Amino acid sequence: MDIDLSSDDQLFQSEVRQFLADNAYVAGSDYNEWRMNWFRLAREQGGWDVPKWPEKFGGPGWTPTQHYIWEQETAQAQTPWDLPFGLSMLAPVLMNYGSEEQQQRFLPDIRDRKVNWCQGYSEPNAGSDLANLKTTAELSTDGSHYVVNGTKIWTTLAHIADWIFCLTRTDDSGKKQEGVTFLLIPMKQEGIEVKPIITLGGAHSVNMVHLTDVKVPVENRVGEEGKAWTYAKGLLAHERTGLAGISRSLVALEKLKRQASSVNRGNGSLLDDPSYRMKLAQLEVDLMATEFTELRSLASAAAGAEPGPESSILKLKGTEIQQRVQKLTVEAGGIYSAAWGAMPVGHKFAHGGMSGYLASRAYTIYGGASEVQRDVIAKNVLGLKK
Amino acid sequence: MNFDLSEEQQLLSDSVARFVSDQYPLDQRQLTVLSEQGFSSEHWQTMAELGWLGASIPEQYQGFGGNQADTMVLMEQLGKGLVLEPFFASAVLAASALKYGGSDTQQNEWLPQIADGSKQLTLAYAEEQARFDLHDVITRAEQNPDGFTLNGHKSMVLHAASADAMIVSARVTGAQTEKSGIELFLVDTNADGLTINAFPTVDGLRAAEVKLNDVSIPAAAKLACSEGGFNVLNRVAIDGILALAAEAVGAMEVLYKDTVAYTQEREQFNHPLSNFQVLQHRMVDMFMEYEQCKSLLYRATLEVVQRGDEAQRTVHALKYLIGKNGIFIGENAVQLHGGMGMTEELRIAHYFKRLLVIDAQFGNHDYHLAQFAG
Repeated sequence: MDIDLSSDDQLFQSEVRQFLADNAYVAGSDYNEWRMNWFRLAREQGGWDVPKWPEKFGGPGWTPTQHYIWEQETAQAQTPWDLPFGLSMLAPVLMNYGSEEQQQRFLPDIRDRKVNWCQGYSEPNAGSDLANLKTTAELSTDGSHYVVNGTKIWTTLAHIADWIFCLTRTDDSGKKQEGVTFLLIPMKQEGIEVKPIITLGGAHSVNMVHLTDVKVPVENRVGEEGKAWTYAKGLLAHERTGLAGISRSLVALEKLKRQASSVNRGNGSLLDDPSYRMKLAQLEVDLMATEFTELRSLASAAAGAEPGPESSILKLKGTEIQQRVQKLTVEAGGIYSAAWGAMPVGHKFAHGGMSGYLASRAYTIYGGASEVQRDVIAKNVLGLKK
Repeated sequence: MNFDLSEEQQLLSDSVARFVSDQYPLDQRQLTVLSEQGFSSEHWQTMAELGWLGASIPEQYQGFGGNQADTMVLMEQLGKGLVLEPFFASAVLAASALKYGGSDTQQNEWLPQIADGSKQLTLAYAEEQARFDLHDVITRAEQNPDGFTLNGHKSMVLHAASADAMIVSARVTGAQTEKSGIELFLVDTNADGLTINAFPTVDGLRAAEVKLNDVSIPAAAKLACSEGGFNVLNRVAIDGILALAAEAVGAMEVLYKDTVAYTQEREQFNHPLSNFQVLQHRMVDMFMEYEQCKSLLYRATLEVVQRGDEAQRTVHALKYLIGKNGIFIGENAVQLHGGMGMTEELRIAHYFKRLLVIDAQFGNHDYHLAQFAG
């Protein structure tokens, strides 16, 4: 055991810092041009545009420590916006279960950020109980295509997506976990209707997606018919790890301290307020521990293990920490956190603090609610039975 | 000891409950939220006609002469309806300020108009640097031969844009955080030099930043406040906290009951969610915290009615518990509703937002716990 970075890792860290500094966005320049250029240059570094992809598919083949360094450095720098759906959620499924033809067809566009994907998992009656999904895919008599009917819900960014990867039911005669099939479906076609859902913070990011008699060619099926539950489960573990957001919370905590220091209290600032100070301290302690829980998980991943039950610990702790940062932002805003609408009032950060807090309430619901994560740990780690 | 409502209080409670169930469906409320004024003039008139606006105003000024316990009964029911009308600003805050600080002439002029709804008033007490301290006042009132000139900036003034007048706390003498030297002034919202920058709050109500730039008012616009401006303001804040706490208790009741109902309907893993013990226990906690808030609300209200501002410490305890438990109940109502809890479609979202705003008004839970601890 050693807590310090090796000299190789230190070298890597400075290379990453150099890269991020050299390619920072210049205010006023064309954002989209910078974004695409950034990914191109990152690729030339040796697969830095797809850090989590295996070497076989063009990834950098980093050690866990290198991944950790990358997360830390990029959380503090301005990097171009990116979406996880194709890159981190679909790509691993294609790499593990897709045909070579599917890999060649879809992975390059995902890597080039040319195609936006969304995830068709949850349904109105399949939330925490995802296996209860009812969207049907019926194989045509000539065996050339599936006909898909059903409704997906909470579909993030479906309104800008080109494709959706969907869990569908091809057989309902057995256990719920059987008869689930993984299909890739273009969004821009007849029979697909996207309805916005406005959430607590007032934002439109999730949707309801209705599929009516949508024809999907069989070559768009990933893996075997009826076996997709296994594929999806692995994917959910990846999703959970990604949702913990530890590096981002470390940066957010520093920002929160700066904001609190700008709120005057008597001769000092809110940072001198004993109860606020204690809450910040408790948060920091939890974050320090969770940071190392993540590192331990990375280390076991390096030994070749798939993300397992520890991904549930990270999701639980990580999302609760993110919520606490948001809550303390609202508390720092004091009376001004209640202000809503276009006009900033009072402390600058208070504007947006409340909508951030409200939006954060979803963190312990999506990607497997906290109650479900605790069930996973109880069952798979502690060996407790219902 | 007796914690039962009197016959009059029961009638009042029933009448507000009926109004809420008849006049306040969520879809209608959300349309009103989007209107420019942000509340319904028709409802305002109804509230005047039914005597609610004058519930705590003495009978000699055409009110019903009720006390904080009567206001509690009213506010708890209004809280269940998420009512948008400026009842709290005008019939609680401004009415209390005039009751405790107004001269006979001022009371004669204004209280009957608050009671019949013909005038809508509000209280401008908060300032940015003060955070939650009522005695931290920079806004100045300078005396001159004709009266006073006011200069300063008041924050988060409830319903200022639709108000006819506001009662403003300003400093006549003393340093920024001294309790002495603060006085209250009645200022017409049309006064020269007064600017109102209005905006909605997250709960759908309205507030404003108010700037006072050489606003001239006559000497008669200063509230008499024989016990001192700060003491009056503090008593108004106590009434305000009691009223907000009652409203919050009403909102919490809706949240825990809606959650219990939803988990009985919603099935996952072939069972209603309500069958899962972990969720049952969470709802038990929500229910217990609601009951605790209600108990402390009764305790604080009755202490204030019978012992006045000797009950200050209990009022701090109440505002702490209401803020903390309101957020606990709101967050768990959302969590147990799952994705649906995140939508604006269900009413729980709106009750949760109201509880968040209530925590931030007249001092949040941390502030009052610190005051309570002393």
